[in-house]
Amino acid sequence: MAFLDTIMWPFSWAVSFILSTWHSLLTMVGLPEGSGWNWALSILLLVLVIRIILIPLFVRQIKSQRGMQIIQPELQKLQAKYKGKKDPVSRQAQVAEQQALFKRNKVNPFMTCLPILAQMPIFLALFWCLNRIGGSGRMGTSDVDYQEEGYYALSSSEVTSFANSRIFEVGMPDTFLGAVQGDPALMGGTVAVIVLTTVMIVMMVSTQFFTQKQLMQKNMSEAALTGQFAQTQKIMLYALPLVFIFGGVYFPVGVLIYWTATNFWTMGQQWWVIRNNPTPGSLAEKELNLRRATKGLPPVGEDARKAREEAEKPKGQHKGPTAQPKKKKKKKKKGQR
Amino acid sequence: MTWIRHSDFYGEAHTISDAEMILSQQREGSAPPVPTEEEIERHYWRRWRRAAAYPAIVFIMIWRKLVSPLYGQVCGFYPSCSAYGLEAVTVHGLFRGSALTAWRILRCNPFTGGGINHVPASPRVWPEEELPEIVRLNHPPIPRDPD
Repeated sequence: MAFLDTIMWPFSWAVSFILSTWHSLLTMVGLPEGSGWNWALSILLLVLVIRIILIPLFVRQIKSQRGMQIIQPELQKLQAKYKGKKDPVSRQAQVAEQQALFKRNKVNPFMTCLPILAQMPIFLALFWCLNRIGGSGRMGTSDVDYQEEGYYALSSSEVTSFANSRIFEVGMPDTFLGAVQGDPALMGGTVAVIVLTTVMIVMMVSTQFFTQKQLMQKNMSEAALTGQFAQTQKIMLYALPLVFIFGGVYFPVGVLIYWTATNFWTMGQQWWVIRNNPTPGSLAEKELNLRRATKGLPPVGEDARKAREEAEKPKGQHKGPTAQPKKKKKKKKKGQR
Repeated sequence: MTWIRHSDFYGEAHTISDAEMILSQQREGSAPPVPTEEEIERHYWRRWRRAAAYPAIVFIMIWRKLVSPLYGQVCGFYPSCSAYGLEAVTVHGLFRGSALTAWRILRCNPFTGGGINHVPASPRVWPEEELPEIVRLNHPPIPRDPD
């Protein structure tokens, strides 16, 4: 633990500092100092700060995902090219070509999971914080009494206030597992804790699931929906909620608030992106173009490309007096090639 | 005897085909034997100098057999870090090879875009049949597209 603590030091410090700052500000504005709502709001504002910091990362993720979806047809072509060639050298050649393709289109396989990875240290810092300040008998509790010593940037009085704050008669450090096992350090009543944590776990998991589902249904091009990439996404769709259901029983209420809020943020962010800047060739793009059409605006993306190609095609039947120059132009083009 | 240079894999096309072409020219006698006297001498001398790298080579080979399969293909680069490391240590020796590998592993993170990144060419030469497998694997000939 000591080694991990050393690595986590900056994150633990940052999280406790942000929490402490928001809590002080909210107290100054007039919220009761020891109220659970004050601390819950501080956690929500922590989410706000973290997610604003992570926006550039999200933009890069979107670009990378888009690239991945756009190159799907090319990837399939590659697979066809190397079909049946199983010797190691050919396989290496395929990997090399694939990697070059990724690079050309600025696709970074790492990027897909980076925003969730980047949040991990923050989440872990908050998780440890709540686990440690909460009392005895919990995972990760050390001999230090943080309510006397303070926890990183949180002073001892703030830690005490945080650990003893309640929302709906449920303490911030309470967990579902603690309630089920009859942990003596539980702040709220067993039933209240079970109900609240269950509701929050369900919200956390369903927002996660819905966000992923939305992404797959609306924002992936038709080609991407059939490839290997889609398969991975499908596994993510069902595996991640499972992870969060089994992990969720260990999460203190404060962490559940954090994770649910961050999921809602992701959902909103994605909704905005899908609505305004959908992937070419996806369902969301068709919807966007329908909306644009009702407003009398020209289509964008894939439809616009098709429309342009349509316009460039020579039309055989209706040759009016204007046909002549058009024909000339076309001939010129052919000659150049 | 036909010889092959590590730098033969670094032609315009960056493929093994350049090396093969040079080899066939040597066999026909249309090209002068690739290694100069000096290069051949260096090859034998290097046998001893290379001894230091053997433990590292064996370590990376075992790693690639046992550990790499656990996490699958996650490297953003081609050749993957372990393949790069094996080639680097094989052709550049323990010190330069390890340094190159360490630098590559540092670069293998979400913020560098990945892509094709070969081991820098070394002055090594081998008799054709002694060419280490990893060099052949890391520089595969890219077949032309069907169209």
